[in-house]
Amino acid sequence: MTLPKGFGSGGGGATSADVEKMIGRRVENMTGIITLSYIAAWLATFGGTAAGYFYYPWAYPTPSGHFAFIVLTIVEAIGYLFSVKVCEEGTKKKSNGIIAATLGGTAVGTVLIGVFVGI
Amino acid sequence: MAQMPALIPKEVEIQRLKKIWLIVIAMGSTAASVEVDNFVDGSLHQTSIRDSAFTPAHWWLYSHFVALPLGWGAAAIYDRKIPVLRGPNNSMNTGLKMTILGYLATMFTIGVNEMWHFWFVEEIFAVPNHWMFNMGVVVAFMGALAYVVRVYARLVELGAETPGENPYVAEMYKMALEGKLYSRSIP
Repeated sequence: MTLPKGFGSGGGGATSADVEKMIGRRVENMTGIITLSYIAAWLATFGGTAAGYFYYPWAYPTPSGHFAFIVLTIVEAIGYLFSVKVCEEGTKKKSNGIIAATLGGTAVGTVLIGVFVGI
Repeated sequence: MAQMPALIPKEVEIQRLKKIWLIVIAMGSTAASVEVDNFVDGSLHQTSIRDSAFTPAHWWLYSHFVALPLGWGAAAIYDRKIPVLRGPNNSMNTGLKMTILGYLATMFTIGVNEMWHFWFVEEIFAVPNHWMFNMGVVVAFMGALAYVVRVYARLVELGAETPGENPYVAEMYKMALEGKLYSRSIP
């Protein structure tokens, strides 16, 4: 196997140290950044709806905003769950607690926003 | 699909393919968050026809037409580390090319759109200044779908999926990979 410059010892194949170097940060160790990205996307979605709630309440009815926000939260939650599960499959890592807390938190947050935010 | 020769160690390739997944899902979440502003924008246009280029509904909406071509460009830079995803003549993957071109079209259409609206304020979906938004997004979606399916197919080829912990599910998974899943019911 031809390895990139700087890898391998000259004529041989890849050693496990080479493999580790080529991989960099492993995807199963990215649960934290994936979780933060999901929360950021969820907040950005709220920011988008907020333009309707606070700037254009006469043009964009609040119930429409809540509906769109709930549907898009579900879409993003599926993406988040999928990301973490795909990244951790085949390893012994399990982040079910983090996933449950995050999805539960955003679900409760979505309901609270639906009930209390808007005009 | 024929098994392609491995040019990098399997473990490295699986990790890199999954990182491509993460990049794509991050951009998908960004696009989903922007979708709300698309609705707000549509509602606003039905009420006030046209406000200005910098109405709050446009801030995030237009930003994503810049963020997505750049994001897919970043995906294309990372994609070079995965030999099996190369396109014809070792060029960029065809799906990626379509996606980047599609979103670049939408990016430049922001300017076209604003020039048009300088004279004409109507926001009918079918007016010519919107054509390249719509066509660009459709071309980008087609390319992205092709690319994502290719990444998924390669992950399956590499056997990256983990069989279920339930022994019956694991057996069904094994039979499915062997093409024998329906052999008990369909002779």
